Amino acid sequence: MRWLLPALGVVIVFVLLGGAIFGLSGRLGAAPEQPVAFPHDVHVKGVGLDCTFCHRTATTGDAAGIPSVEQCMFCHRVVGQGNPEIEKVRQAGQNQSPIDWIKVHRLPDSVHFTHAPHIRAGVACATCHGQVEGMKQARQVRDLRMGDCVSCHRQNNATTDCAACHY
Amino acid sequence: MSEEYKWGMVVDVDRCTGCQACVVACQVENNAPLSSEESFQRRRPMQWIRIERYWEGEYPHIKARFLPLLCQQCGNAPCEPVCPVYATYHNREGLNVQIYPRCIGTRFCANNCPYNARFFNWVEHQWPPVMANYLNPHVTVRPRGIMEKCTFCIHRLHRAQRQAKGEGRVLRDGEVQPACVQTCPTNALVFGNLKDPNSRVSSMVQDERHYRLLEELGTEPSVVYLKKVVPGGRAS
Repeated sequence: MRWLLPALGVVIVFVLLGGAIFGLSGRLGAAPEQPVAFPHDVHVKGVGLDCTFCHRTATTGDAAGIPSVEQCMFCHRVVGQGNPEIEKVRQAGQNQSPIDWIKVHRLPDSVHFTHAPHIRAGVACATCHGQVEGMKQARQVRDLRMGDCVSCHRQNNATTDCAACHY
Repeated sequence: MSEEYKWGMVVDVDRCTGCQACVVACQVENNAPLSSEESFQRRRPMQWIRIERYWEGEYPHIKARFLPLLCQQCGNAPCEPVCPVYATYHNREGLNVQIYPRCIGTRFCANNCPYNARFFNWVEHQWPPVMANYLNPHVTVRPRGIMEKCTFCIHRLHRAQRQAKGEGRVLRDGEVQPACVQTCPTNALVFGNLKDPNSRVSSMVQDERHYRLLEELGTEPSVVYLKKVVPGGRAS
C-alpha cells in the first residue's frame, strides 16, 4: 500500500491541472441551448446556403448580423410545416416577436471586433468559427482570447496596436 | 493602421462662444457618465472636453473668454512614461491612447497631466433607466477604477479608415470628425491630418495667431489654438 499515497497525489495533481486548463480555456466549446433548435448543417450542407445569406452584414459591417424572423419566414412560410421547431419560428413570425437567440461567440466589452476588414483580408469564416456546416448546434471551436487574436495578427502581418481593438 | 496619418486639431478661440455643445456631444458620443452637481463640487466631473471660462478686464468693461480644453494628444506626453503597466502609449497615428483593460488605476498619469485632461472612474457609473439604449455600442463603457480621456473619437477614425481602406484610398480631408468638431456651430474646432500638407488643419497651424497650451513644458501638443484678437485691444 506504499504506492497509494503517491498515486493519489498524482491523481489529485491531474485533476487540479485539468480543472485549471479547463477554467482558463474561456468559452471554448460553448454551445448554449438556443430557443429554437436551429441546425446549421441542414441549412448549409442540406440547402446549400452561403453564410452571408443569413449573416448579411458580415462583409460590410462590424457584426455579422443575426437574421430577423422575417428573413426566416422567406422560406419557412412554406417550408417545413408541422416541424415543432419551425412552428416556433412561424409563431414568432405571426406574433411579430423576435427570437431571443443566445450569442455563442462572446467577447469582453472592452474588445471591438469587426467582421468586414477580416473578410476583406481573406480570412474565411471557418478560420474562427470552424466547420459550422457540420454543426447541429452552433459551438465555439476557437479560443478567441487575446493571445489567439494576436498570434494570428502577427502571422499575417496585421496591426498589433492595442488601440486597434481596445478603445 | 498606417503611417499616413497624424491627427491634430485646431481650436480657433476667436470663434468659440462658450456654448458647450462640444461638451454635450462628447459626453453622448463617448458614453461619459452624466456629471452631477455633486461631482463638480467634489471636483470629479467626467468631461473629456470642457470650456474653461476666464474674465478679462474690470467692471463694467468686462469680457468673458472661453477656452475649449481637451486632451492635447501630446507628442511628448507626460502621462505616458509614468504608467507602470504601459496602459497609455503613443500609437503610430500620433494619438495618445488609453487601453482600458490594461489600466490598473494608479492615477499617476492624471497627476502628471498639466492640462487636467484625464479622468478617473471613482465609482461604477449608473445611467438613468430611460437612457439604457442611449449608450454608443462602439465605445467601451468604462468600469470603476480605471483612467479615461479624450480619444479624438478613435472609433470614428477606425471606422472611416476601414471604409477608405476597403475602397483602396486614404481618407480625404474632413471625411472624419470627432463628435465635438462635428457639433461645433461656429466651426471653432477643426480636425484633420497634420501629415497631409493640403489639409485644413495643416494650413491653419501656419496662422500667425497660433499657439500651444503650456508650450514651455515641451509636451508638443497635437492641439493648436488660434488666439483671439481684439481690434485695437489686447489679444487673449
